[in-house]
Amino acid sequence: MTRAAFSYDFPHRHLISVADLNPVDIRIIFERAAHWLAVNRTPDKSSDVLKGLTVLNLFFEASTRTQGSFEMAGKRLGADVVNFAVAHSSASKGESLSDTARTLAAMRPDIMVVRHSATGAPRFLAERTGLAVVNAGDGMHEHPTQALLDSFTLAQHWGEVGGKRILIVGDILHSRVARSNIGLLNILGAEIRLCAPPTLLPSDVDQWGCDVFHDLDDALQDCDAVMALRQQKERMSGGFVPSAREFFHLFGLTHERLEVCSPDVLVMHPGPMNRGTEIHTKLADDPEKSVILEQVESGVAVRMAVLELIGETIRRDFHSREAGQ
Amino acid sequence: MSETSLAIINARLVDPASGHDGPGGVLIEDGVIVQTGGEIDVDAADAVIDAKGCILAPALIDLRCAKEAALTPDGETLDTLTAGAAAGGFGTIVLAPNARAPLDKADGFAGMNRGLAKRGVNVLSACGATQGLAGEQMAEIGLMVRGGAVYAGQGDRPISDTRTMRRLLAYTSQFDIWLSVRPADWALSAGTVALESDWSARMGLPAEPALSERIAIERDAALAELSGGKLMIDRLSTADGLAALRRARTRDQEIAATVAVAHLTLNEVDAGGLDSAFRMDPPLRSEADRRALVEAVTSGEIDAVVTDHRPTPFDDKGEPFALAIAGTMSLETALGAMLGLVHDGQLELVDALRVMTCGPADLLGLPQGRITDGAPADLILIDGDKPWVCDPDRFHSARGNCAWAGRRFQGQVLQTLVGGVTIYNQKA
Repeated sequence: MTRAAFSYDFPHRHLISVADLNPVDIRIIFERAAHWLAVNRTPDKSSDVLKGLTVLNLFFEASTRTQGSFEMAGKRLGADVVNFAVAHSSASKGESLSDTARTLAAMRPDIMVVRHSATGAPRFLAERTGLAVVNAGDGMHEHPTQALLDSFTLAQHWGEVGGKRILIVGDILHSRVARSNIGLLNILGAEIRLCAPPTLLPSDVDQWGCDVFHDLDDALQDCDAVMALRQQKERMSGGFVPSAREFFHLFGLTHERLEVCSPDVLVMHPGPMNRGTEIHTKLADDPEKSVILEQVESGVAVRMAVLELIGETIRRDFHSREAGQ
Repeated sequence: MSETSLAIINARLVDPASGHDGPGGVLIEDGVIVQTGGEIDVDAADAVIDAKGCILAPALIDLRCAKEAALTPDGETLDTLTAGAAAGGFGTIVLAPNARAPLDKADGFAGMNRGLAKRGVNVLSACGATQGLAGEQMAEIGLMVRGGAVYAGQGDRPISDTRTMRRLLAYTSQFDIWLSVRPADWALSAGTVALESDWSARMGLPAEPALSERIAIERDAALAELSGGKLMIDRLSTADGLAALRRARTRDQEIAATVAVAHLTLNEVDAGGLDSAFRMDPPLRSEADRRALVEAVTSGEIDAVVTDHRPTPFDDKGEPFALAIAGTMSLETALGAMLGLVHDGQLELVDALRVMTCGPADLLGLPQGRITDGAPADLILIDGDKPWVCDPDRFHSARGNCAWAGRRFQGQVLQTLVGGVTIYNQKA
């Protein structure tokens, strides 16, 4: 189905939560991402769809891969991309988020890509500045483009994500990746399983529409994809889990344990990986099963799609305001 | 000696699991009970024990005892521990973590556990819940459960940090094991050696209020409810604590409670002469507390009575009461002390035995602790009336710290069988 057949324009100026998206929005994003994925594999990657627009990367938390992915996406689309590493500048001088936002908005960028350690910071910035905002991760809340690129990667293999059984294993309690993935996979109609020690699960997790497991071997039964989450080292020393090695023995992904999965099971990881804690190094590098590097490639394409669609909305809104005056 | 079949007949058979107390016997084949009742086919048996006048009961099970490090001079070794256990009527004992042996290292845990197995007496091991039992960082509980740990415990050290306790209950819940923690509020109990009472006040001893136990039980029961963890109250010792346990159980919570033999049979008056043998953790309580606990055994509110057997070097007990190390040896005296309550009319025999057989077995899901077809033939024969005097010099252990030294008991173990094999025979 082409976009014209929907007779529906992508309506969003922001991407703050996966819950803002409906299945058609997701389909449009995936369709454009597939286009950019193909373009990115050619030597002629440059486009001018965002020419004239300025994308501001506003990262209050250190990030290399997500920021790099957004920067590459914006530049390939012809936008002017400016990186503000706020961790090292105004915030450390004691400026409030509100003042930082208004200062930057006064420079007239069009899209702000925001990562912040506090839940709700991207929405706060969207409300304070009126700019289009893409959430690149807020606290333990959401990381919508990561969820989109994960599902997009799976859709590239399967066509449809709906109806598939997908397991997320690891520190779900502290994971914005898990929260966004659960939300998105629910919209797409996948069967979601979660597996973690009880100390790394929210206490109301049974309300999330997922099957919850504490035993990895049970959880892996007949899964079509398994997503390992990154385990933070400081949570592996007795506070939440006794040790990294106990975690690996109980929850680490290995070839042997995956034998109860679907034979074509796909293994995912949002990166950066701790080999030997959440995933066996040989499994991480197995090209038959691991799609970890495909996720990174999909990331640029999905972010291009999101920036492109939001750029269209910005232009459409601008023109309709002009026409109305 | 291992017969392929053995009949024990003409006994007073007491099986707390079924509530049976009456004439009867058993037929054992290949270490398993194959027939019980009054009509045992003695012709089918290779050997027959006529147990006329004796009580036949399941061998006892202890969820909490300790030995000393293997090379401790004059220490309680695994050999002396199991010999004492067999003489005391125990067929299964669990080594519990303590400050000297925190059992908190996963390395070698499985190997150690396998080494424990071949001792006549079944020796199981619990594991430490936190590193060094410090109550801060979790030990590798999961790896130790894989290595055979039957529950996670904390020794005498309560967990002061509420968040740590919450996480421990949550973490252990995934293995379906009990988290056994001494109920005491750390700040109220740290450094104390006695119950806050008229006596301890007169003696000027640092003392903890009985309330400390109640506060801890109320906190931990609430956390267990939140986290879904399995909380085991390790050595309930006060009436206040018992009331808190009752309140928690009205919320349909699965909470286990143990009591040490000492707290059922002794009180703070026994420690009145400041004899270091009566220095205990938890400290000995009031007579009202003791009576409440005995009644709770009768009412079925106590799941298991533990020996809390703790051999210590003579030098450690050679200090004044307030400085002496806590603990008493108890494996060889536990049954005598419990039978004392029966002879006094404070407790029925079947209730006294229940908390030392099927009670603890059910907590750990063990097949032992009952006399029924198919159960392992772990049994004891008891002369219920035989008088004797506790003399620590005659213990199987080289240690002798015992709060019951010199006590007169009535009722003694004659023979202990594990898997149908006699591991202790008083006449031998």
